[in-house]
Amino acid sequence: MSDSTQHGGQPVDPRRATLLLWLMGAVFSVYALHLFDLQIRQGVEYRAKASTIARQTTIIPAQRGEIFDRNVSSPLVLNVDSFAIDLIPAELPAALRDTVFQKLAMVLDQPLDELRSKVPPAYYHLYQAIEIAQAVDYGTVTALAERVDEFPGIVWRAEPKRSYAVSGSFSHILGYVGDITREELKVLYNKGYKTGDLVGKAGIEKQYDALLRGKDGREFSVVDVRGRAVTRSNRAVDQPVMGSNLVLSIDRRMQELAEDALGERMGSVVVLKPATGEVLALVSYPSYDPNLFIGAGGNNAYAALLNDERNPLINRAIQSSYPPASTFKAVMTTAILEEESVSPDKEVLCEGQISYGERVWRCWNTHPGHGKVDLEEALEQSCDIYFWVVGRDNLGIERIVSYATEFGFGIASGIDLPGEVDGFVPTPQWKERRFHEKWLAGDTMNVAIGQGFTLSTPLQVANAYAMIVNDGVVYRPHVLKEVRDASTGAVVSKVDPEPIIRSRTDPAVFAEVRSALRGVITEGTARYAINTRAVEVAGKTGTAEVGLPDRWHSWLASWAPYDAEDPEDVIVVVVMVEASNPWEWWATYATNIIHQGWFSGQTYDEAVAALGMGWIAKPSASRME
Amino acid sequence: MMAISGRSFSDIDWWILAPAIFLMGAGVLFIYSSGVTSEGLVVSNEWIKQLVWVASGLVLLVAVIVVDWKRWRDWAPWFYGAALVALVYTKLFGRVVNGARSWIGVGDVGVQPSEFTKIAAILMLAKYLADSRHDPNRFGRFLKAFAIAAIPMAFILIQPDFGTSLVFLPIFLVMAWIGGIETRYVAFVGLLAVLTLGFAVLPLYETVIADAPSVWLSVFYEPPRSWLLIGGLAGVFALATLGFLLGRKRYYYWIAYSSLLLGASLLVALVGRMVLKEYQVMRLIVFLDPSVDPRGSGWNILQSITAIGSGGFGGRGFLQGTQSHYRYLPQQSTDFIFSILSEEWGLMGGVLVFSLFFILLARSVLLLRNLKSAFASYVVAGVVGMVFFHFIINVGMAMGIMPITGIPLFFLSYGGSSLWTALVGIGLTLAVSARRFDL
Repeated sequence: MSDSTQHGGQPVDPRRATLLLWLMGAVFSVYALHLFDLQIRQGVEYRAKASTIARQTTIIPAQRGEIFDRNVSSPLVLNVDSFAIDLIPAELPAALRDTVFQKLAMVLDQPLDELRSKVPPAYYHLYQAIEIAQAVDYGTVTALAERVDEFPGIVWRAEPKRSYAVSGSFSHILGYVGDITREELKVLYNKGYKTGDLVGKAGIEKQYDALLRGKDGREFSVVDVRGRAVTRSNRAVDQPVMGSNLVLSIDRRMQELAEDALGERMGSVVVLKPATGEVLALVSYPSYDPNLFIGAGGNNAYAALLNDERNPLINRAIQSSYPPASTFKAVMTTAILEEESVSPDKEVLCEGQISYGERVWRCWNTHPGHGKVDLEEALEQSCDIYFWVVGRDNLGIERIVSYATEFGFGIASGIDLPGEVDGFVPTPQWKERRFHEKWLAGDTMNVAIGQGFTLSTPLQVANAYAMIVNDGVVYRPHVLKEVRDASTGAVVSKVDPEPIIRSRTDPAVFAEVRSALRGVITEGTARYAINTRAVEVAGKTGTAEVGLPDRWHSWLASWAPYDAEDPEDVIVVVVMVEASNPWEWWATYATNIIHQGWFSGQTYDEAVAALGMGWIAKPSASRME
Repeated sequence: MMAISGRSFSDIDWWILAPAIFLMGAGVLFIYSSGVTSEGLVVSNEWIKQLVWVASGLVLLVAVIVVDWKRWRDWAPWFYGAALVALVYTKLFGRVVNGARSWIGVGDVGVQPSEFTKIAAILMLAKYLADSRHDPNRFGRFLKAFAIAAIPMAFILIQPDFGTSLVFLPIFLVMAWIGGIETRYVAFVGLLAVLTLGFAVLPLYETVIADAPSVWLSVFYEPPRSWLLIGGLAGVFALATLGFLLGRKRYYYWIAYSSLLLGASLLVALVGRMVLKEYQVMRLIVFLDPSVDPRGSGWNILQSITAIGSGGFGGRGFLQGTQSHYRYLPQQSTDFIFSILSEEWGLMGGVLVFSLFFILLARSVLLLRNLKSAFASYVVAGVVGMVFFHFIINVGMAMGIMPITGIPLFFLSYGGSSLWTALVGIGLTLAVSARRFDL
């Protein structure tokens, strides 16, 4: 086609160059025409548009639901009016910058350099709002609003703040809220969460975050180039929907009684109603005050909690597991009676110690020993030798494991609080896998008295005793009782009792176990310590070896009334005091005070006085409110 | 040869240099304007940096003029090779800016090798086209020429910097056209590019912009059917090629040509859709209807059009534009410099810019007729293709009639790499113009 030799020695075909020129001319003409069209023909429209262009969406945060105890009196958690102060740096003229910051520091009562450090010079030309203060109260905002013309670029927005009206042991149940983290957002993004949201971090706040958080509202408005609303009539509002209110099964009076009864001892208390699984009190000491790390300087308070060696953030009632010790003998007793592998009348001679394997096994009562004991006496006196011998020779590890599992040991109960642990029930297969060692009869003897590898949470022990009270049925323990509409107060939904265990064991066996456990209080180990006359108590002590000299975990698992006509009246109380405290056998005394206080309607101090325990029990410290 | 001597200012084509200087002056003014807030505060010193770039770029331009342009012909393969090495280095160790690994440098000082690659590719392609002018294998000449442009283009595409890589197409098209490559080959590349782009954005266009997706068009992108179509076209191509080889009939040739064009563009589009992210495709089509994405890519276009439109005839006055100073205009100093200029100087300013570009380009094209050297002609053609394409895409984008690709407007936009590239290109043009009778 085109041949370079055809255009007179020129390297470029002039026709092609001309065509290129025409193409350029055409493009420039079209562009010029289009520019004319935009600027002249439609110029007026665009000029109008340039003054009212942006449609702004402002988020109106939804109020988080409040949380009440079962009596729905005053809220345990509520929202207080609080504001965040933002600065739009570019709207603050450079000449006024210093004075405005100084005035702000005065009004907000915050250090000047702390305020200034929130807005580094690199941000000065930004039109993006930057948060410079949080948790500012209503009065301060009013003071700002009155002199708004002195604070160019300053805006504020409502940011309801969570306030925990009760602290102390309630904090483990209620939990707390915090800004959503990037990791949490990854998980929750599809559920409508977004950056900057508050989200429950622990306890009820975390467990029922979806119910509590409500739905943010939105306000649409047309703003001019300066960001000022053009017309108020143009506003469209999506009202926020407040989160649901939650009513807990926790009884505030019982919670405070149990907290005082435990006192300042590392440990926990579980009180539940076996008839429904409702948890009336859940105490763990030490606890923490969430109000301290919600506000300014909160990170330091939180870091201090994290570094505290006593682990105050752990809810010991469900997040720690311990050897159940002698409280486990109630499970053994049930197994022996149901299996009929040995007659309950068979007597075992306790001389304080026996030799087995390569060691000497000592009963807790070394001198002179319990003498000849049958099953009922062995349980009352908590005789280790009886359960060692019968567990080893008559029951065997397989059956002990089977009963332990049936009683709910080794698996989380499914309480509606985050972080519950499973505990542990050892098996020969597990030992083989874990240590490559054969299971020995000595291991069986350890399990038989709730020692060795067995671990259980205080809540699991409470469930095991609930099973004995309920003739073999255990209801899922729960802390939430009702969900209520925030505006009308109407009950939206109720938590119904949900059976999680139905034992095949003969109810008559449970009746015998109950009677034996009543014997523990009337005749046995706890007969002097549990002296309340307010109600008939039944239960079992427990003292776990942990390898510390003269220190043991102290347990007491109990229920009352012993023989109630109405099962709704019955409460199961489990107190667990860790061996890290000086040895006082305190679980027993605390149980005594709780039953006395609950069944005669007394406070801790009144109960202590009524029981004549003033010589041993300290008066309640002034409660943190 | 090394005649740095007796050349005076009279040899410089001021019809080319003067528009470039005026454009750079306007660029500095509006880079300054873009750094001023509504309060009148100057918050950016980009305009000072740009002045430094202009000064250093002019020194570079003089240097390019002073060097005998025939030496560029000998150096072309070295430049080209060095540019490719720099691209590979950038891909491996470069800095990521705006999602593309396209920068190398230390600290705040960085350059984009992809910019200078344009000059290297122009020199290399000009050299090859000039050397192979009398090559009897016309098809082979076309393929090799295309490869010279396609290799750096592919390297930049995987950075990934889609916009910059596109520039190599018009450079190739204009140079091939001026370099005497057969019309049907040039047309093939041009059509292939247009069709591929069309097919690549078609599915998103159908779902996002068109109200009623057409069943008929879905044959071009719905997997089972589009594969059948490509297979069918491949079959047609094979048969027609066979027919042409056996029968030597002209129409067989054109059937093979069309089926290859259509099939290849479908195939490349299919691959492209897998490589391109949806937001990238979105940026390519959103200009057709910015309102489908008023918060995202469409926002920039809407704000830019509003800024331009509100300029009117005389503009709102220097530093008086509201769109720009209230920060509704994004990237005012780089991609949308034309918008702020049009808002503040109005139609007068816009037409002035158009005229300056047109004078510069038209003068370069007219120069082609007088050049005795093939290499020199093809270099000028490449510079023309490069500057013209940047103008079309950038200004078109600002006016909402071209896709958003992030291509800067030469001479005006803030940035050293693109300014230096433009000035080196202009320098080459001025150099060959000053010694236009050299062979």
